[in-house]
Amino acid sequence: MSERSEVTIKQSTAAREAAAPPRKEAPGVRISGLTVVYKTPAGELPAVRDVSLTLEPGSITGIVGESGSGKSTLALSLLNAVQPPGRISTGSVEIDGLGDVVGFRGERLRKARGQHIGYVFQAAQNSLNPLKTVGKQLLDLGRSHGVDDLRGLVREAKELLGRMGLDGARVLDSHQHELSGGMRQRVGIMLALVLNAHLVVLDEPTTALDMITQANILKIVREVHAERGLTTLVITHDIGVVAEVADRLAVMYGGRLVEQGPTRQVLAAPRHPYTRGLIKAIPRLVGDIDEAQALPGRPPTLVTVPKEGCVFRERCALRMDVCDTVDPQARVDEGAYGPRIVACHAVTVKERA
Amino acid sequence: MITGTGIVKTFKQRGKVLGAREVMALRGVDFAIPKGGAASFIGESGCGKTTLGRIIAGLETYDAGEIIIGDVTMSSLRPKQRQPHYRKIQLIHQDPYSALNPTRTIHQTLYAPLSLRARQTGRPRSWIEERAAEVLSLVGLDPGTVLARYPHQLSGGMRQRVVIARALTVDPEMLVADEAVSMIDVSLRLGILALLKDLRERLGVSVLFITHDVATARYIGDDGELYVIYRGQVVERGPVDTVIADPVHPYTQSLLSAIPVLHGLERPGEQPVMPLESLDESQSDEGCLFARRCPFRGERCTSERPLLAVTEAAPQQHACFYPERRSVIARPMSEV
Repeated sequence: MSERSEVTIKQSTAAREAAAPPRKEAPGVRISGLTVVYKTPAGELPAVRDVSLTLEPGSITGIVGESGSGKSTLALSLLNAVQPPGRISTGSVEIDGLGDVVGFRGERLRKARGQHIGYVFQAAQNSLNPLKTVGKQLLDLGRSHGVDDLRGLVREAKELLGRMGLDGARVLDSHQHELSGGMRQRVGIMLALVLNAHLVVLDEPTTALDMITQANILKIVREVHAERGLTTLVITHDIGVVAEVADRLAVMYGGRLVEQGPTRQVLAAPRHPYTRGLIKAIPRLVGDIDEAQALPGRPPTLVTVPKEGCVFRERCALRMDVCDTVDPQARVDEGAYGPRIVACHAVTVKERA
Repeated sequence: MITGTGIVKTFKQRGKVLGAREVMALRGVDFAIPKGGAASFIGESGCGKTTLGRIIAGLETYDAGEIIIGDVTMSSLRPKQRQPHYRKIQLIHQDPYSALNPTRTIHQTLYAPLSLRARQTGRPRSWIEERAAEVLSLVGLDPGTVLARYPHQLSGGMRQRVVIARALTVDPEMLVADEAVSMIDVSLRLGILALLKDLRERLGVSVLFITHDVATARYIGDDGELYVIYRGQVVERGPVDTVIADPVHPYTQSLLSAIPVLHGLERPGEQPVMPLESLDESQSDEGCLFARRCPFRGERCTSERPLLAVTEAAPQQHACFYPERRSVIARPMSEV
């Protein structure tokens, strides 16, 4: 009970103070030539290979990929948080106002996380400490980042939770088990944003949530993104999630980015055979049921992904001889709504013909 | 044919902090799944759909009501006597990773139920091997490569196929698939769904599909019935395509409105329904269970519980005092 009163007193005092948080601008992010390898008995194998991706300031980018596609590893690279046996072997991650985080170590890196980059972890609903109230964990977070104005932090947290449709005071006084999955997810988002980070990574933000809760969370992500002026990256296996929130869509397969572009354009006219297959494999609510077609084969793992040539060729209907040996280069088409990029020999050949 | 009438299930929770309370998991549910047919239960987690699936598979007891398998009433039998009837109904779990014994090869996994079956029916040992290969082929796996493997050597999709193959060893009449594809990679999901659909068509196995994803329910059996379950009560029930195209219960409409729209390919529905608040199971049981969250509730809703019935508003059964059609689902761009 003492904790409860502590937090409550801090909140009521904080409510009277009105120091606005310093405004930061939504940063742009340029990932270039990024390769992340994991040490295995078979040597160091790339989970992410030569990936280049730009997050425009203020945009929401969605990365879609199946398990083992390297999407979570890519997201962790933004924090320079790839854990051994993995390591970033080449490439850079330039974040506006920070620099190349790949070179960051120790205290500098720790400060960048939280204050500049917020991360909502996969299964955020299970990543809270079950022994502490949310408020206590918030204070821990503040202290570990050297926040002097803890009352201001609590006020900010309450405001954020209120913004997401929760009773801030009640949630801060709650333990994890007293909150539903959707509420925990919102607490995760709050913790990622409360230190005023303007680059936010959401890893599978709605997995294990119900449809209605998912729709709610996605709406919140969109609104908070716009209101706070964020640059947001959403990692998911669900194209529907990206379709709902993202301006740009990037598709990952076998550690490679195979296609990216404005979400609506990619969904309406996918170019890469994998993207096409994925969209075709979604059962729909109306129309001919048999239009949905399964993608043959199965996704590669770290060990089975081809060392050279196209990573998708085993499952590809448009496979040519060149696909076995030559890695398709990303082809960029500038468009009115931003560049469309596709890495496929067959698409390149077809468009030249 | 498997039917249930008035199934009631209450879970008693004992708690030191929150105090004991009772959770009504099912409040008098009726269902009927014809031989070779399909049915789907949809609803949010905690609505009772999984409990109902487990009751149907004989893995959970119920407090009131009746389950009739074929023409045999289960409550008239002793637990031991019920077993051969419930064996006709096999449950496929959500998680193929924990459904298989990691220390057994696929051959051993299939051998156990098959040898029991061979003994009961007096078939020779050679039949076991033949049948093991046969069920694996049925689910689209190559027996030669799969039989000697352990579960960890297979992908999630292949494991789920093995689980289905194991269910088929006892010649079931019905498969109960509880969120059977939610842990499978996206590009492989449709393959598993297509398999269930195919087994229905080829073997005449009926399929009960439990999910929160309406589109997959439609894919498995568009000729079957859809049951929308909310806090233990069926609130709308009817042919899949009718309920999807013309839902009249605000809860069904909320579920359908929540499905992500593939912008660029689809246009969102014009009258999306959003519940007023999120699900709180400790809410009072008085009146319509959905009333507190319902944007269209009237005075009657807080005092009286609507019963499942067909009214002039719609051909499908619904439990709502103010049923109304609303355009909630996304339509393909090409259609408009």
